[in-house]
Amino acid sequence: MKINTWFGVLEIGSKGEVLASDSFPKDIRELALRSLSLRDSRQNLPPEGFDLKAAAIECKFVDSLSEYYSLLHEVTLEAAKHQVSEALTPDQRIVQAVEALDDINETTNSLSERLFEWYGGYFPESGLNGEALALFIVKYGSRENVAPDDPLYLKARDSMGAKLEAADEVLLKGFAENVCSLYERRKQIEAYIESSMEILAPNLTITAGPMLGARLISIAGSLEKLAAFPSSTIQVIGASKALFKHLRERAPSPKHGIIYSHPLVNTSPWWVRGKVARALAAKLSLAARIDFYSGKIDPSLPEKLEEKIQKIRALNPRPPQKRPESGAKPKKKRRK
Amino acid sequence: MTDVRKLSDGIFEVTKGKKQLATKNLDLGKTVYGEKLIPVEGVEYRTWDPRRSKLGAMVLKKFNIPLKEDSKVLYLGAASGTTVSHVSDIVSEGAVYAVEFAPRSMRDFIGLASRRKNIFPLLADAGKPDSYAHIVEPVDLIFQDVAQPNQAEIAARNAARFLNEGGHLLLSIKARSIDTAANPKEVFTEEVKKLEQAFEPRFEILMARDLMPYHEDHLGVLAKLKE
Ligand SMILES: C[S@@+](CC[C@H](N)C(=O)[O-])C[C@H]1O[C@@H](n2cnc3c(N)ncnc32)[C@H](O)[C@@H]1O
Repeated sequence: MKINTWFGVLEIGSKGEVLASDSFPKDIRELALRSLSLRDSRQNLPPEGFDLKAAAIECKFVDSLSEYYSLLHEVTLEAAKHQVSEALTPDQRIVQAVEALDDINETTNSLSERLFEWYGGYFPESGLNGEALALFIVKYGSRENVAPDDPLYLKARDSMGAKLEAADEVLLKGFAENVCSLYERRKQIEAYIESSMEILAPNLTITAGPMLGARLISIAGSLEKLAAFPSSTIQVIGASKALFKHLRERAPSPKHGIIYSHPLVNTSPWWVRGKVARALAAKLSLAARIDFYSGKIDPSLPEKLEEKIQKIRALNPRPPQKRPESGAKPKKKRRK
Repeated sequence: MTDVRKLSDGIFEVTKGKKQLATKNLDLGKTVYGEKLIPVEGVEYRTWDPRRSKLGAMVLKKFNIPLKEDSKVLYLGAASGTTVSHVSDIVSEGAVYAVEFAPRSMRDFIGLASRRKNIFPLLADAGKPDSYAHIVEPVDLIFQDVAQPNQAEIAARNAARFLNEGGHLLLSIKARSIDTAANPKEVFTEEVKKLEQAFEPRFEILMARDLMPYHEDHLGVLAKLKE
């Protein structure tokens, strides 16, 4: 019978003896790629318990066991490296970018707060914070330098803040520059995510918006995984704490995870949000599937979603009699 | 004074102040996960942290570790190679086929694998042994630490294809990867039963013991093919 091995194609007899062989050239890269191509072929597998190394010597692919092992070591390494590099697919790049964005946001917020506190001692009346404050400090440093045509000129002149000494001004300006560049970096990453999402997942992008879409992919782990999720899972992605609590302690099931940030959900009246979230999740699931399997854009998706949501709102114009208390709510029966 | 006592082939207890599990370092001067190197009379021992390694814990829980210098091992669930590195030390003249399916873990593992000639890294799903049947030879031991709900089935499939007659299976079962809510004891009983009769080939359990205090809710199992 014919069998495939990493070093060649063999014809073996009933006792596993090699009858004929066609061994491959001893080129590490070639052997590695060939070996990878054999992964999914269900055909011509060696019989159970077949001694590959003995066969490799028998068919003179190698002269010794040590040569066999050292070649196999190189080949498996090369193949694994190849697979690892292939694993960095476009969706994985987006996942990395989303995670970097989260880190940058966290850092930017804490540095901005620090800057606000610090500069507040010198010009508490500025009314600025975040990026605007950082830009202001980079531009002027001490409030004494504020130009007469600047809207903050009078406030700066009459401020109760302390005098900013030169040494402190250098520090603060440098710090503010760092904060500004973090804001810049944030915009750059957001732009990267938006343009990558349009290419990788156009349907998700038009239905969820690029950032929410990217976050869904990031939490799912990949576009493939997101496409495989049932829409009930997509509905609560990002609410894992509440979900586990629900599973463990019979707490009420969460109605929405990060899809809450979608305008269609968070602008809906509270009594339809659960329904809206469910409808949105169903469309997102569909969008992710089209993106993963065909990649063709279906421009009608957002409209259809919008229609569906309008219908839900129209059918539920008023809040139910009693607002359900969160906590001790009995499990709702599914109404047809 | 440093005292060295052999526990089994390739596995030692080195006493320098305190007693520590160790293997002889095959990759001289290098550490893998922050463990210590202890030279004793020209031999470099590498300490083995049982809290970081299920196999290390099994040694301390008095499992017979069926490994010799020239053993062939199929290691399922290599992760970044913490335990594989010690297995590689132990089977210095043998071979470790190390299967891991997460590319991210494999990325960390490759550096280690490239410095140790007896490691053969395989980025593959241990549930599909056919996908590496063209590479892996018959082995003396299958070590499995994949933390998956279908681990008994994975073990059986790999054993059918690769385990030598007289070979062994060492398995670490994590209760919570099977059922997050159930009582670990019940999960363990179920899993052992599965190994004994649910799949072909069937296993005969030689030893089963929890891995406390090193790993919570983990069961170590040593088995061989049922005759
Ligand atoms: C608990 S960790 C193993 C730790 C490792 N044995 C050690 O002690 O250093 C489990 C590993 O198994 C891997 N894994 C889980 N299912 C797998 C499968 N079906 N095939 C291959 N690897 C798998 C996971 O990616 C993870 O890295």
